[in-house]
Amino acid sequence: MSNKRKRYDFIMKTITYVASSVAIIILFMIVFFVVRNGTNLLSFDLLTSDYHSHVYNGGIDPVTDFSQTSKPDHLTDEDYYSQKWGIALSDGEGKQGEERVIVSFVAEDSPLNHMVNRNDSNDEDFQIKEGYIIQMIKFEGRQSALEIYGAQYMINSLEEVDTFRELVFAEVGGGIRGSLLTTLYTIGLTLIVALPVGIFTAIYFNEFANKNKFTQFMRTLIDTLTGVPSIIFGLMGLAVFVPLTVRYTPATSGNILSGSLTLAVILLPVIIKSTEESLKVVPDDFRQASLALGANHTQTTFKVVLPSALPGILTATLLSIGRIIGESAALIFAVGTAIKDDISIFGKSTTLSVHIWSLLTDEPANIPLATTIALIILMVVLGLNLLVKLLSIKFMKKFS
Amino acid sequence: MTSLEKIKSSLKSIFRKRHKREYIDIAITKFFQLVTILSASFIIIIVIFIAREGIKPFISNNDGLGRVDLVSFLTGTTWLRGPTFQSNLYSVGFIIINTLYIALLSLLIAMPIGVLSALFIAKIAPKRLAGFLRTVVELLAAIPSIVFGLFGSSVILSMVYNLAKLFGVQSPGGNSVLATVLVLVMMILPTITALSEVAIRSVGKDIEEGSLALGATKTQTHFKVILTSAKSGIFASAILGIGRALGEATAVSLVAGNARSGPSFGFFEITSTLTSTMLQGLKETIGLDYDIRFSVGIVLMIVILITNIILNYFKKRIGQVYVK
Repeated sequence: MSNKRKRYDFIMKTITYVASSVAIIILFMIVFFVVRNGTNLLSFDLLTSDYHSHVYNGGIDPVTDFSQTSKPDHLTDEDYYSQKWGIALSDGEGKQGEERVIVSFVAEDSPLNHMVNRNDSNDEDFQIKEGYIIQMIKFEGRQSALEIYGAQYMINSLEEVDTFRELVFAEVGGGIRGSLLTTLYTIGLTLIVALPVGIFTAIYFNEFANKNKFTQFMRTLIDTLTGVPSIIFGLMGLAVFVPLTVRYTPATSGNILSGSLTLAVILLPVIIKSTEESLKVVPDDFRQASLALGANHTQTTFKVVLPSALPGILTATLLSIGRIIGESAALIFAVGTAIKDDISIFGKSTTLSVHIWSLLTDEPANIPLATTIALIILMVVLGLNLLVKLLSIKFMKKFS
Repeated sequence: MTSLEKIKSSLKSIFRKRHKREYIDIAITKFFQLVTILSASFIIIIVIFIAREGIKPFISNNDGLGRVDLVSFLTGTTWLRGPTFQSNLYSVGFIIINTLYIALLSLLIAMPIGVLSALFIAKIAPKRLAGFLRTVVELLAAIPSIVFGLFGSSVILSMVYNLAKLFGVQSPGGNSVLATVLVLVMMILPTITALSEVAIRSVGKDIEEGSLALGATKTQTHFKVILTSAKSGIFASAILGIGRALGEATAVSLVAGNARSGPSFGFFEITSTLTSTMLQGLKETIGLDYDIRFSVGIVLMIVILITNIILNYFKKRIGQVYVK
């Protein structure tokens, strides 16, 4: 072999090595970026708390008996305590890393427990609690204490007065409980619709359909669905499912149901294809044996063929869940982008993906929270894919 | 047999006594057929309903704004002349060009990388490495587009911004043609790699061995014989890749910069695609500004359809040449 040829071979081979490392680098960069920036805010609190902080405005009647409780032992030097008002405050961070004054302790005999709700006197949740944030205390005839001045200033100001005009406190917002629930609802609703329709279609094609032009035509139509971009499905959801759900349900605009129906259409070709492939693998002997034993076509299909195809259906389901969690463009149109905490099937809401989109298109964009949600999505989606891979290896071993 | 008898006998065959199970069979078959027809009809529903909404701006009065002119809509170089909600001078001509330009550029970059990776995975890499790479490609394909959008808008935008500075160009926050193309390359690379790999692996062993027997080295065989034999399949991967690039919405809308006029060919210019235009300002819009998005959707579908037809035509012509 000539040297020139060797050199040529070596260069070409190196190029393929370099090219295939690109995919690894991209995957690594994305995972690294999301993990590094997303883990700071990741906590159980984030998953279970509301996005919109509920703000309360508390007023107070003239106080006669102040608190007698002295500073409890479990509080550190970081917690500033006012014995008079029976409240301890500390400097902390909100879910998005911004500075907040956090209530770290409220004494039982604190006069703050008897505040008057300035907005809605019937609200039973109105009570200052540990973990809440204090946004501002307005005083009569002196400067208000804002949260940017810090916890120490607030406590000092409180110590010096006997009453105040208003205390603005809030639950910490920025949680994703609503979007998480929406995602789960969407997954459930979509699968309830898409799985039966998809599986029945696959069974029809594989077990019942005559091989004629009409069947072939329907197959082509379904295959065409695969190539349609998701934003077009979104438009379809907006034009078909939103009016439909508004008409027949209590919904008034885009809602979780219309979004799920749209997603179901997107997933149909995936489910049909995957189910059909696993139906094809079932040997014809099974069918003939069942028919020969006197079972009819329906019995054969449901009792013999379908159970053997279950692994394929399971794979399709897992992949579908990944797809639902990741889908954004279609849902932006078919549901909307309003982040909600009270979730109803007939109301607007966002799944985790659309939540990210909503955060990124806000001014200013909230990238830290978006990255944290992306981390959750990425973990679930990549986990599901690896699971599918493991399952398929296992089933392949079983069948071969 | 008279026609009456014919009808009688056919009625008899329909209403002949059957076993109960037979009825169940017929009912189930009909039911499944109905479900299948429903599944198949969605594509038709999509076309009809989007067309119905999308044609509205061209035929209705649009609440006093007047009809949108179809010719200027398809050829203009400014998305909207005049203030929003008070003008009907929409046009997507430059956006069509932008979209095609960006998709082609992405394909141009992703194709060589994807095909070479596919060749590496299918023929060159040791078995374990190949398996690992296949998993990497599958995972990359599974990453949702919103995550690419987030990655693009926080990492790639700043990279492009710094690169533009290096060239002495002021890039607005990094939103640019280059950033969009880079994000799209990442997104279509796994599609191209996975499909090309299947095409390469399906090349017959005899062709490969024939080439080796004639004295070609392995590398020569890979590049000159296997790649050329698999080119029809590779071309199919390009068709799917460009389809994904044309239809990608959320990620692109976060890095394109939403240019209101164009077309933009410079790498550091802001741009806009059909999809990003549909998403832009969606949160606060009504009336014609909302309806026109359906029209853009129709344009997008037509662009994808025509691109597919053209590429399939080329694929057929290329596919006819066999290496012998």
